[in-house]
Amino acid sequence: MAMRDLITGATSCPDPAASSSSSANPLGALANALIGSSSKTNERLKEIPTSIPTDPSSHLYSQPPPSQFLPGSEFDKPFFDPSSQGSQFLNGFRSAAASGGGALEETWDEIQRDGRAAPQLDGGLYDRAAPPPHLHQPTLDGPPQRVLSNFLHSFLDSSRGGVPFHPAPLPMLGLSEGDKQCIRDRSSIMARHLFADKSEEFIDAQVNALLSSLDIDSNVRGKGPMPERFRELEDYWNESQGNLRPGPHPADGWIAEYSQNRANLDNPDSWANSFEQQHGANGWVSEFENSQLSSMDQMQAMNMPNLAAMEQTRMLANTLAQNNDPKFQNSKFLQFVSKMSRGELIIDDNQVKETAPGDWATEYQQQYNPGHSWAGEFLNDKVSHGPDQWVNEFNDQQHGPIDDQWVNEFSKLHVGDWADEFGQQVAEGAFGESSSDNWAHAYDEYLNEQVAAKQQSDSSRGVYVFSDLNPYVGHPNPLKEGQDLFRKGLLSEAVLALEAEVLKNPENAEGWRLLGIAHAENDDDQQAIAAMMRAQEADPTNLEVLLALGVSHTNELEQTAALKYLYGWLRNHPKYGSLAPPELADSLYYADVARLFNEAAEMSPEDADVHIVLGVMYNLSREYDKAIASFQRALKLKPQDYSLWNKLGATQANSVQSADAIMAYQQALDLKPNYVRAWANMGISYANQGMYDESIRYYVRALAMNPKADNAWQYLRISLSCASRNDMLEACDSRNLDLLQKEFPLQ
Amino acid sequence: MPVFKTPFNGYSVKFSPFYEDRLAVATAQNFGILGNGRLHVLSLSPNPSQPFTEIAAYDTADGVYDVAWSESHDSLLVAAVADGSVKLYDTALPPTSNPIRSLREHTREVHSADYNPLRRDSFLTSSWDDTVKLWTLDRPSSLRTFKEHSYCVYSAVWNPRHADVFASASGDCTLRVWDVREPSSTMVFPPHEMEVLTCDWNKYDDCIIATASVDKSIKVWDVRSFRVPIAVMNGHGYAVRKVRFSPHVRNLMVSCSYDMTVCVWDFMVEDALVSRYDHHTEFAVGVDMSVLVEGLMASTGWDELVYVWQHGTDPRAP
Repeated sequence: MAMRDLITGATSCPDPAASSSSSANPLGALANALIGSSSKTNERLKEIPTSIPTDPSSHLYSQPPPSQFLPGSEFDKPFFDPSSQGSQFLNGFRSAAASGGGALEETWDEIQRDGRAAPQLDGGLYDRAAPPPHLHQPTLDGPPQRVLSNFLHSFLDSSRGGVPFHPAPLPMLGLSEGDKQCIRDRSSIMARHLFADKSEEFIDAQVNALLSSLDIDSNVRGKGPMPERFRELEDYWNESQGNLRPGPHPADGWIAEYSQNRANLDNPDSWANSFEQQHGANGWVSEFENSQLSSMDQMQAMNMPNLAAMEQTRMLANTLAQNNDPKFQNSKFLQFVSKMSRGELIIDDNQVKETAPGDWATEYQQQYNPGHSWAGEFLNDKVSHGPDQWVNEFNDQQHGPIDDQWVNEFSKLHVGDWADEFGQQVAEGAFGESSSDNWAHAYDEYLNEQVAAKQQSDSSRGVYVFSDLNPYVGHPNPLKEGQDLFRKGLLSEAVLALEAEVLKNPENAEGWRLLGIAHAENDDDQQAIAAMMRAQEADPTNLEVLLALGVSHTNELEQTAALKYLYGWLRNHPKYGSLAPPELADSLYYADVARLFNEAAEMSPEDADVHIVLGVMYNLSREYDKAIASFQRALKLKPQDYSLWNKLGATQANSVQSADAIMAYQQALDLKPNYVRAWANMGISYANQGMYDESIRYYVRALAMNPKADNAWQYLRISLSCASRNDMLEACDSRNLDLLQKEFPLQ
Repeated sequence: MPVFKTPFNGYSVKFSPFYEDRLAVATAQNFGILGNGRLHVLSLSPNPSQPFTEIAAYDTADGVYDVAWSESHDSLLVAAVADGSVKLYDTALPPTSNPIRSLREHTREVHSADYNPLRRDSFLTSSWDDTVKLWTLDRPSSLRTFKEHSYCVYSAVWNPRHADVFASASGDCTLRVWDVREPSSTMVFPPHEMEVLTCDWNKYDDCIIATASVDKSIKVWDVRSFRVPIAVMNGHGYAVRKVRFSPHVRNLMVSCSYDMTVCVWDFMVEDALVSRYDHHTEFAVGVDMSVLVEGLMASTGWDELVYVWQHGTDPRAP
């Protein structure tokens, strides 16, 4: 148990609930639960903040009445051995029930509906505990699964041994709708894992072939398509948002939600899906209106692409053959998929037939003869419901009548306007409660990330982003002004003055260097890195610049870049340059660089800088104890270095010594009261200790000094929600510092 | 080392947190596409002629995709079943009394289950219905449903240091970090360009989390700064199905993949791949490391075999 506690961190967890509930004797705990020491159970429950009041009589193992709980638990009886007579008997009985008009089932359903307790129903084998309408489960009483699986396995074995496959006529047939749905959904999801390199069309074709072999309608999809399908629309969206770099999947939140809801529909759904396949998501948007008029023609053309897609499955064998790994060649699963998708096996009229590989297309066409074709169904459906059917259904389903507007506006507006409109509606809560809030929230975050990602990609290329309005431009000696401001601790002002300097003298390494340091102390590492890189261009051997770059990259967890600069520091150092073999620069490994610095530290233990670099290095490798020791050694030599105190504090915070960290930050702030980074770090340390109110005050203080510290805004947001101050989230999101400062003054 | 043949295709394997010789295996018929499932509880025996004893086996109407041991009761198991149900089994009770619970709320396949290691009274399940649900043992319905993902949620795992924090990995290509005290997720970011199939927290650093994806890579992240991964590990030839951090060695982790291999990595080293185990002959989809015995590993796959071996030895060695 001791080892276990160590691992799970139970002993270090401040939560008294965890330690009180961790009974040293699991059997004792079990006994407690069994005997029903409900007081303890309830006590624990109250400690789950989200728990709702519960019936105190219901504790572990209590069995609630079947009418309110556990429909379908009858399934959980152990299975009969398939070869036993009893099983055959039951199977036969079940199939009889299934084919016999389902009178028993109806009765059972009624019983379920009435909510009456089920009277000892023969072990409940007929339980049809009606699943939710959108849920299709293979239930034991429907298809003869054992027969099916025996059939599949004998098929697989025959494919391996090369023995001709002589399936016995199956007495019970085929697959229920639920089974088909199941096969369709699961094989689609798995195919996306397996054929990740291939296009969505290829995956569709793959799955379609498998499904058609099993006589499963492939047009209805249970699970919406993958987000990648919507790239085009996403680009549109991005353009409308002003040339953001296309991030991974900014817009797929609503798209996926939309398609999910849509997927719950039946025929209307397949219409939309197939239409999309044919025209692309983009086409869908632009042709939305037209399609309502001309959809008939479109629909009739639909079978063609499907057949063409089927042709592609011939490529499957080739694809599999491309992988030369014999394990793959022998994989039963892949043989199964492969053979199925080549149409070498079909289930037709309840008889399993082997077909020549070439015949499948014909078979397919026969199966999809016009009378039963999907297009026909759609037309029927359309006739009976009118062309707006699916649109209406979608609306009803998701939002109720209110959102007819949505469709109208959608078709009227340009995409850009539409996006705004959509955002507004979400803000107004027009889309109902449950999904839209989450959606808006998630989407905001996506946008923020994108902006952040953009900033990052810019500055990691070393592009320094200048402030727009700079009063210091045109001043005679902005460097001097910048240095003075920096000394006074007016970091944001200093940044402006120094920007003016480097605009005037782009080759001034000192200007760039100080600008970088000002940014670093202002808690903006991206800008700091950009400025420092310019400084390094101007003066490639400046030790302070190299060290600062190493530290900033460490903060951003960019190990390779950090190592490069720290190694550069060593190489260019007059005292230690001889230690660093130049050939090492090509392939820097952490261990090598760390060794060199340890040698340097042995050479001159009185050099605080070496200890600082070592401390940074140990942060990279997350050996925080060593890092703390190095910084403490450096502080003995340089007790007035405020940035060093901050480094010590940050390291202590990272090694879960937040209380010590706060002391160190306090030292840094005593030395330099306007040190934004230390204020923000202070906030982090308080947050780490669960003191969210304090942390908010420190973040707000830091932000008051530098509203551009994006990280601090993010931290503030987290602390606000942790402190249950959701009322101030809006002020945070709109960066309303006045309000925040008023609300959270620093005592 | 011991090998056990399951009648169905293996989906998940987990060591008991209470007994060093006990493990549970979740299996599903027909590769989990259609058919029944079975949950096995196995015990390792020192007798080499019969290395495994089956303590219990429970049949289900649909495939079992995942299993989690209770952290509070040594005989209690949570099974994630493909028919959308979450079932609780107690191996101390007779087979006729099992399952002791069948919780039906998920509307699609349940893909993962994870027991809270700190609080020990609650567990999470994640499902293809895009949600994560929080449950406690003593109530018949879930405490909360977390619905923000827009596609299948393949995995949801508790943070080993913070009793209220967990992460979820989804096919919508995002990872979300949640605090159950909060109304919505506290963090979301896209760790991969393709579906994220699994995630796990480092057992020694509560800010480090690993993700793995259909894009074949494993990435290690610091949640405080998720713009850049701490490490990216390439080497699997197909989608990576599961990743687990070592309970004993801070930087060590194990992964399994559709490329049929199990790999052990040290994420802080440049050449991260420590060893590659090639013993499965079909997709390797379940892997675990023992908390009680350092270096003891278990894996299962669609070749219907369960292997248990000591890290550094050949799983197939007799």
